[in-house]
Amino acid sequence: MAGSPSTGEPPSSPPRRRFTDRARGAGRAAARGLTSFGRSVVILWRVLRANPLTLVGFVLVVLIAATAAIMVTVPSLLTSFGVDQLTLDYNQAPSLHHLFGTDGNGIDIFAMVLYGLPVDLAIAFAITGVALIGGGGLGLFAGFWDRPGSVGGAVSVFIMRVTDIFLSFPSLILALAIAVSLGRGVWQLIVAVLLTWWPYYVRLVRGETLAVKHLPYIMAARAAGVNERRIVLRHVLRNVLEPVIVYFTLDIGTVLVTLSTIGYVGLGVNYPTTPEWGSMISYYQNAGLIGTYPWTVLGPGAAIFITVLAFSLLGDGLRDVLDPRSRRVLAGTPSRPSTSPAEREEEAEEVAGEVLEIPGPLPSAQEVNAPA
Amino acid sequence: MTDAPVVSIQDLSIDYVVGAGRFSAVSNVSLDVFRGHVVGVVGETGCGKSTLGQAIPRLLPEPPAYIRGGRILFQGQDLVKVPLWKMPAIRGTGINMIFQEPLNSLNPAYRIYDQVAEAISIRHLREKGKTVISHRETPPFDYSRRPTSDAAEALSRPVIPGGAVARVARNAAERHPELREEVLDYLRLVRINDPETILSLYPHELSGGMRQRVMIAMVLSEKPSLLIADEPTSALDVTIQAQVLTLMKELIEEVNTSILFISHDLGVIAETADELGVMYAGKMVEFGPVADLFENPRHPYTKALLRASPTRYKTDGPLSSIPGNVPNLSRPPPGCRFHPRCPIAKPKCRREPGPDHVAPAGVAERHTSACHYAQEVPGIP
Repeated sequence: MAGSPSTGEPPSSPPRRRFTDRARGAGRAAARGLTSFGRSVVILWRVLRANPLTLVGFVLVVLIAATAAIMVTVPSLLTSFGVDQLTLDYNQAPSLHHLFGTDGNGIDIFAMVLYGLPVDLAIAFAITGVALIGGGGLGLFAGFWDRPGSVGGAVSVFIMRVTDIFLSFPSLILALAIAVSLGRGVWQLIVAVLLTWWPYYVRLVRGETLAVKHLPYIMAARAAGVNERRIVLRHVLRNVLEPVIVYFTLDIGTVLVTLSTIGYVGLGVNYPTTPEWGSMISYYQNAGLIGTYPWTVLGPGAAIFITVLAFSLLGDGLRDVLDPRSRRVLAGTPSRPSTSPAEREEEAEEVAGEVLEIPGPLPSAQEVNAPA
Repeated sequence: MTDAPVVSIQDLSIDYVVGAGRFSAVSNVSLDVFRGHVVGVVGETGCGKSTLGQAIPRLLPEPPAYIRGGRILFQGQDLVKVPLWKMPAIRGTGINMIFQEPLNSLNPAYRIYDQVAEAISIRHLREKGKTVISHRETPPFDYSRRPTSDAAEALSRPVIPGGAVARVARNAAERHPELREEVLDYLRLVRINDPETILSLYPHELSGGMRQRVMIAMVLSEKPSLLIADEPTSALDVTIQAQVLTLMKELIEEVNTSILFISHDLGVIAETADELGVMYAGKMVEFGPVADLFENPRHPYTKALLRASPTRYKTDGPLSSIPGNVPNLSRPPPGCRFHPRCPIAKPKCRREPGPDHVAPAGVAERHTSACHYAQEVPGIP
């Protein structure tokens, strides 16, 4: 074996180089001299470019976020109407002045859809965020400290059984029931949905944690003297995060639809004092305006559709951004500095020489065997 | 090398309880590892050698494993009695471990720099007296360069994973020249060409041999007194294996670590170990200096193992195999566990378990065998 230098490890010629050479060349030029943040942006751009649908989702999400930010700070940039502002234009069809038309009270639908955007996003993020952090934290605990017979094991069993109880109800029905008992309003809506939302995150994170915690690198970290808290927070959590973030992003769409459903059956917030898309549709439907003035519901409906679509598209491609393994392949960023062919050859010779010098295990075994 | 052993395993027994069954994976094993020595442990699959290796730093999942009895004396304390939550302070700088799967032993989500830096900072923290572990008098390298401030070091240990804080912390760490230099030192130590490039790579971008070298760098950077290498080269192909073994041998001398080297490959053991323990069905059947044990095996199992190995005795003709199978450890055979497969088994072997640590006549010092008829072993054809 010592006589076959060509099988020695050639550290200077990764096979990837061949087919990503062009992209890497471009990447090197672009990424050179950038800060770490700049490099991340370049990588993000390449990943997005490789998945056009994700790019669409990403652009939509950025637009939605920008719109929401403007509506919170200076709404006059996008609309000249205030929340619940009555005008004298009753039941107007969409026009340049009223993009989505107006309702029977002269309220501008486009303005209300815009005002509803930050409200809907805030409610959706509050629900999924608390579910992610709270439910995910419980799931991480239940997955990691599940040794039977220990205190942690007892706590995890408790967490999982409570989770099972919540999961045994159909979540929408349970949310509606809670919403009925709490009454209408933003906080009531958040609590009602949240109470049915967190168990999924417990399940998901616990499952991922159980899978990750038995992998060799966790054992290796433990052997290296890393304490358990740090193993959970650094080594387990980081590897659990990818599927969870993806689920979270897709979940924002789901929770928006659920909000709209609850709003639609009339248990959401008080429209028009609080603009919220689901309640908005419900309000105009109950007012009997769908048939004669369809634009009153088409506006908020389209808003729900686009927002849900945006987060779903983004979520699908997010895994590629988060996973270092697919990130580099997609982005084609240089992982090694360029060396000239001559340098590479030289290096290979060096390596080959090293291999040749090493005595194989065979002759040494015989040495040991030889009579002294 | 006549001082007290780095680790002294005395009469250790470990059971696995699976369902209603109880498997004695390790039975009454005693083993001393002295400073600077490499002690090999060989045996067939399922003989308990990995269980023994993982039991020393208490890495066995308990349950299903239970340490039924015995002591593991390390730095004046019995590790069997140390509560598990205190073990992280002993692992790493005290006892560290290299695993069988180099391909999965690095966290896929972090760059090489982060992983090696984590190992180094564990040692730095211990050296600062957070937990006193190391008893080494002379550091093999110049560690006078220390991280300058606690704040910088705290920043170099990102706690919030993957997020902006971790990124800021990582940049802070990369700007932290001392730690970075030390990481580079260790990567150079394990003969990695161009370590600067490796720093920003993820584990999946390295070859198996490179990953194992990074693992070795991480383990050595903590300067453990005892290193348990559980088949560290089994997953590597033969050329890389040779490189890694040569590297380990050199490093043992440089870092002065004791190694418990677990393997099923006699060639690898012959290459690396000073002393060798042969395990069979959870028992240590023979122990001795490698040369003497290879030259003069005094247990029928060792002899059979050597005869089945392509590196010895047989230069032509077919290799011999050991008839029969490893016994089921939930119901081990009575008496000597090897007797159903032993060519020189006698009625006594069926009744009495083999003697522990009896030195047969005509062997080197510290060479012991657990065979009733150790004197007859050389006569086995």
